[in-house]
Amino acid sequence: MLKIEGLKKRFGNFQALSGLDMEIEEGALYGFVGPNGAGKTTAIRIITGLLKPDEGTVEIAGIDALREPRRVRDEFGYVPDEFGMYDNLKVREYMEFFASAYGLDGLVARNRCEELLAQMKLEEWADAFVDSLSRGMKQRLCLARALIHDPKLLVLDEPTSGMDPRTRLEFKEMLKELCAEGKTILVSSHILSELAQMCTDIGVIDAGRIILSGSMSEILQKVNESNPLLIRVAGGKREQALNVLKSDERVRTVVIRGGEIAVRFGGTERDEADLLRKLVGAGVAVSGFFREQGDLESIFMQITNHDTEKVVLRSEE
Amino acid sequence: MKNNPVYRREVTVRSRSFRLPLVILIFNTILAVFSLFSMYSTVAQVRVSAQVSYESFLQLYAFAATLEFLLLMFIMPALTSGSVSGERERQTLELLLTTKMTAADIVTGKLMAAFDQMGLLVMSSFPIILLTFVYGSADIGGIALLLVCFATTAAFCGGIGILASSVTRRSTFSNVCTYGFLLLIVIGTLMLNQFVLQLSEMRISEAAYQFGAEQTVADTGAAVYLLLLNPFVTFAEILSGQISGGSRLFSLSAFLGARPENFVTGHWTAISLCVQAALSVLFVRGAVRSLGKNRRT
Ligand SMILES: Nc1ncnc2c1ncn2[C@@H]1O[C@H](COP(=O)(O)OP(=O)(O)OP(=O)(O)O)[C@@H](O)[C@H]1O
Ligand SMILES: [Mg+2]
Repeated sequence: MLKIEGLKKRFGNFQALSGLDMEIEEGALYGFVGPNGAGKTTAIRIITGLLKPDEGTVEIAGIDALREPRRVRDEFGYVPDEFGMYDNLKVREYMEFFASAYGLDGLVARNRCEELLAQMKLEEWADAFVDSLSRGMKQRLCLARALIHDPKLLVLDEPTSGMDPRTRLEFKEMLKELCAEGKTILVSSHILSELAQMCTDIGVIDAGRIILSGSMSEILQKVNESNPLLIRVAGGKREQALNVLKSDERVRTVVIRGGEIAVRFGGTERDEADLLRKLVGAGVAVSGFFREQGDLESIFMQITNHDTEKVVLRSEE
Repeated sequence: MKNNPVYRREVTVRSRSFRLPLVILIFNTILAVFSLFSMYSTVAQVRVSAQVSYESFLQLYAFAATLEFLLLMFIMPALTSGSVSGERERQTLELLLTTKMTAADIVTGKLMAAFDQMGLLVMSSFPIILLTFVYGSADIGGIALLLVCFATTAAFCGGIGILASSVTRRSTFSNVCTYGFLLLIVIGTLMLNQFVLQLSEMRISEAAYQFGAEQTVADTGAAVYLLLLNPFVTFAEILSGQISGGSRLFSLSAFLGARPENFVTGHWTAISLCVQAALSVLFVRGAVRSLGKNRRT
């Protein structure tokens, strides 16, 4: 649905994007995560044609977005991170205005507006002035507006910032629904765990390039692997256990933490089972063997800091 | 044209604001008070002196037309110079630019909205201007020419305004640029001509003193053609042609000196209207280009 290759953008002597590659499958709910200043908004503005890249290609629904900027505007809807409202304009008029901006008029436009307002639970507010709406409602209105021409791709830039937890949850449910209806969605955020609950795919951007991407389950797997194995040994056979661990090449670091041994172990679940068998085979009385539960934020911190030891140091404290 | 979304939205929003009715009310009140007062005093004078001075009706017509012209020059920039930059400040421009609307659609919509406000203002004052026809003033052709001049000036000022608002980020800066540029064109070209004229006079009197040369008439040479850009000069030409019974180049004669009439000075009104119209088109195209580029910088 969306394919980006080698996107580069420079502001003055600041390289905002340095070769961004990204691919979003049709029907995906793609979470675009990165710390502040990573280049999310820059990338999104290029996708939506508001900014011209120095290098690279953008393809939306098979259309070259840079070559045919006008044609491609039928294919996506855009909710910017910051947007304004007009004074003295009612919600319904706002929707009809954008409908006509996409060439929809008359009854078709009116029906489409009513339908979207109902879907976004804004029908009660159809006659309210847009600038009197609350922030959450404005966000929903902007989403409704972005859907007016029934685009295949929705691009949302930090849509949940400034929302309370409840509104946030409702908004996420809405996105999931839209995704279930067949829309492809790109949503950016600087909080990984927030996207984790709803996204099917994740791309982590840092310093202008994607540093980690894949389906949610793959990412969770990677997160899992980066967490230490905690091994509890009964009956003072710790030395023996340490010898086994040191001789295994999949073990990267070993830290003794209270009564437990924390092992950074790069391997699949099968490898874990293998390690356990080795330990037991060597006569170590293993009374506990489990992965520490990963929290997404720490992996996020870890990969965006380029500091692979950070997690271990943190858990030691 | 009527289907331009930006234009339709502007009309909807405007219908909720009290500004336009208020401006129309104030403007027409001033015009009406002055016209009626002037009429009354003329008639009162007739009673006393038994002489009708028809000039005073022509003066009334000239006053009403001038007031309207000045208003146009002041209001048109105000209506346009905040239009695009206002959307940018309000962070709504990017939303518009991702829709199917082109930069030209946006600029056209904004211009049309400004034009029809202006048109409303001019038209609403027409009955008062027609009052001056009670005792006879300009003819229908003259009125039509005046309207053409108004339309051109509106396009010219509106063009400058919309170009400034597309190029600049802030509406206040755009405002300053628009009025500054307009001032340069209206006052600046006149002052330049005045200055050149004085230089020329000085040179002539010096020459006369030194060589006893025959007295010639001072002129401003090529600088006079800069006045083709000046809508106010065009307006003054049209008006003076009407109230002084068709005499040409009323306001320019001082700058032209004794130079023979050429094609340009012979068709001053038509040529200056064309020049200004052409410039307006350039301004608007510049605005469209700059807005289109904004999308891709
Ligand atoms: N128009 C611009 N001119 C100069 N620098 C810019 C411009 N736009 C963005 N930048 C810089 O590019 C970098 C990336 O900005 P961007 O807005 O894409 O980050 P982001 O990932 O959206 O961050 P955030 O989470 O804060 O929204 C920033 O360091 C910013 O200062
Ligand atoms: Mg951003």
